[in-house]
Amino acid sequence: MDEMKLPSPAKAPETPKRSTGEWVKKNLFSNVPNTVLTIVFGFLALYSIKGLLGFILSGERRWAAVATNMRLLMAQGYPANQFIRVWFTLGCLMVLTGVSLAIWRSNGVLKTKRVGTWVLNLGVGAAIFASLAPISANARGGWLIATVALLFLGCLLKIGSDKSMLPIDVPTIWFSFGCLAVLVFSLWTVPYGHYAFTDGELIAESGRTVAMSTKLPFTVMLLLLVGAFLLAGVARDLVQIPKAKIVLSVLWLLSPFVLNWIVLRDPDFDYGRVFSTDIPIGLLFIGFGFLILYPLTNPSIGEKGRLVAIALLMFAAFNWIAAFFGIYPMLQKVRISFLLLALAALLAPNFAADNRTRLRFVSFWAGFIIVLHWLITAINSPSTLDLQGPTYLGGFSLTLFVAVLTLLLSFPLGVLLALGRTSSMPIARVLCTVYIESVRGVPLITILFFFSNILPLFLPAGMEIAELAAIVTGYTLFSAAYLAENVRGGLQSVMRGQYEAADAIGLTTSQRTGFIVIPQALRVSIPPLVGQAIGVFKETSLVAIVGAFDILRIAAYVVPAQTDFLGVKREGLLLISAIYFLVAFSMSKYSQKLEERVGLGER
Amino acid sequence: MSSEIETMSSEMKQETRPDMIVCENVDKWFGDFQALKGVTATIAEQEVVVVLGPSGSGKSTWIRCINRLEAHQRGTIVVDGVELTNDLRNIEKIRSEVGMVFQQFNLFPHLTVLDNVTLAPKWVRKMPKADAETKAQELLEMVGIPEQASKFPGQLSGGQQQRVAIARALAMEPKIMLFDEPTSALDPEMIKEVLDVMKDLALGGMTMMVVTHEMGFAREVADRIIFMESGEIVEVGTPEHFFTDPNEDRTKLFLSQIL
Repeated sequence: MDEMKLPSPAKAPETPKRSTGEWVKKNLFSNVPNTVLTIVFGFLALYSIKGLLGFILSGERRWAAVATNMRLLMAQGYPANQFIRVWFTLGCLMVLTGVSLAIWRSNGVLKTKRVGTWVLNLGVGAAIFASLAPISANARGGWLIATVALLFLGCLLKIGSDKSMLPIDVPTIWFSFGCLAVLVFSLWTVPYGHYAFTDGELIAESGRTVAMSTKLPFTVMLLLLVGAFLLAGVARDLVQIPKAKIVLSVLWLLSPFVLNWIVLRDPDFDYGRVFSTDIPIGLLFIGFGFLILYPLTNPSIGEKGRLVAIALLMFAAFNWIAAFFGIYPMLQKVRISFLLLALAALLAPNFAADNRTRLRFVSFWAGFIIVLHWLITAINSPSTLDLQGPTYLGGFSLTLFVAVLTLLLSFPLGVLLALGRTSSMPIARVLCTVYIESVRGVPLITILFFFSNILPLFLPAGMEIAELAAIVTGYTLFSAAYLAENVRGGLQSVMRGQYEAADAIGLTTSQRTGFIVIPQALRVSIPPLVGQAIGVFKETSLVAIVGAFDILRIAAYVVPAQTDFLGVKREGLLLISAIYFLVAFSMSKYSQKLEERVGLGER
Repeated sequence: MSSEIETMSSEMKQETRPDMIVCENVDKWFGDFQALKGVTATIAEQEVVVVLGPSGSGKSTWIRCINRLEAHQRGTIVVDGVELTNDLRNIEKIRSEVGMVFQQFNLFPHLTVLDNVTLAPKWVRKMPKADAETKAQELLEMVGIPEQASKFPGQLSGGQQQRVAIARALAMEPKIMLFDEPTSALDPEMIKEVLDVMKDLALGGMTMMVVTHEMGFAREVADRIIFMESGEIVEVGTPEHFFTDPNEDRTKLFLSQIL
């Protein structure tokens, strides 16, 4: 110790790097309780893994049931001859993802050391597999060789990075692309086997690679993803990044609706009607935007404009009541547009500024009306698909659709409810509290049941609600109540001083809420909000109660009922749990990244 | 030389100027506890008034009543001719003319420094973005930190944050600036930089009402000193009079404790 050199003033002394053995000794076996815990849980973990591996690899398993029914599990009733639409949808999403990755450039870089750690962990996993799995001696030998190779590679990478011999730091995105490429390549080379239901006939060839109808589309998807990323990376310097981000965000928001209602459902537009009725109605409402909304954003009118908005609101509400009781018919599209016009008029005075801002507000309204009317016309047109079942979505696509739509719609509603519950207006407070408490006191199944079975009984003759719409509406109203409480927690964390500073510089209450309070409240609420999102995704399995075929129902009831696979349940359920885990874990990881970016826990 | 300028400026200030803040018999209760008892004072334009007193004397309460962060129950407060009542329009009018600087800075942590300063001009005065940003840069230069414009408040020191807070308040071009113990949360090294900014403001002719414990600042810059204790005004006087020969015994007791 006496011979220890004092560090030079410029550099702090380096903490000595501990080897893995020392780490294990310090963290796992440091004292008696730790050692006991390590041994007990180690045994439990290894025992469970052995059981799981024994189950998965047992000769009794009929993984063919899952492999054959992959298409069923993913897109249940979708007609096979139009399956290209599903691939088109996925392709659009890939392109959007690639472009987004390029525009929102994350400069994450994977250090070689980290990759080395992963490889080492893989090696340990391979070692466990080699020792615990019930495989033949040949296979065991092969896995042992793989283990040694992985461990060796991992150590090499770690030592090499320490000594800066391998200064290759791979950007995270290219590493992910590489992993995906390896997976797609394995589709072409590894003999997973070809299983399918073709024309009612069961095909099961275990020796060859997967069918061309699987290999090719996935390869195309990967090419689209990487291609979009590269192209966007090149074009990045030519566009204004903030504008590009806004355009991309709008595209992402629209994608669930457009891809579902236009691409997947393929509505059969009645073009005669479109030109005679729909387009004029659309132009009418765009005109209303200029006639009504533009003057309302005049700064000199100010708050008086809100009286006009209230009048419009009452007119819109009256329209709905009239339609409900059959007093006079008004097209659903027109009723919806009037209601939205009233809400926009209510917001208009907040956008009173220079002429450029006002024109932007009105043109945003115009674009919104165009897209909305297009979508509504699409939903009300019959679908060209020849469907066997009631809905065109099923399986994993239904799960995704319900989850995404519910989250998209319930999030703003939840924020509004939270603001209402903490507002100073007694009526808003009472209404929101009653809503939140009563919805939270009722199980989700009850709400879904009510919306899909009971509500149609109350609707007047001629008015009907599609099954998917009922499910999503009920789920949205349910989820919004829980989200509201999470956001309210965040609202309570905003310091009083922020309110006072906002008041002191003259911000109105809505400006204060929108610019100061909500951003800070949402930052703090990220952990419970993401937890809620994960919950929403997993609880979509409850829609099975009301007759929808989500992925869990198919795996648990439909597949075991097939004549070729009677009673084969557990394989499908294992696959489902893997899928659910993957999605939920990704959301968790993303939440961690989000918290880092927003600087949570650092102040 | 500088003392001559100071005597000249204080003489100039003693010419008749309109009253900016007029408080008459202001009473305020927090539940059963009376925080302000019959506070009566007048602050003229371009006057710098420093409010001194022990903690709990009602100084902060009084200054917060002036821009309605607290509501007084009895008495009248008239700011630049507008009476402070429950009428929202009056409150908004008064708040647009009165800028406030807080002890805890209260900067918006999720916005950059530039955004903090330009937020109100853009959305309350409807100033176009470019103009607001130019003005904000000028103000940041005036308080001495033009290079920090794109940083977040969490990345600045306390003194820098308080100066940003002053710039943010000045961005709305107020006629009156209220300071509620602006340097009490700062390290000693940073107090000077904030006080220098406040001194420049005072010399530039701003009407200021400052609650502080900085006696040096009070002596140098104040036109009048108001001493409060237990919610009532005990003594009012010029700095020379106040620090060298106060009238009241309570004032003498306070001064003996702090000087």
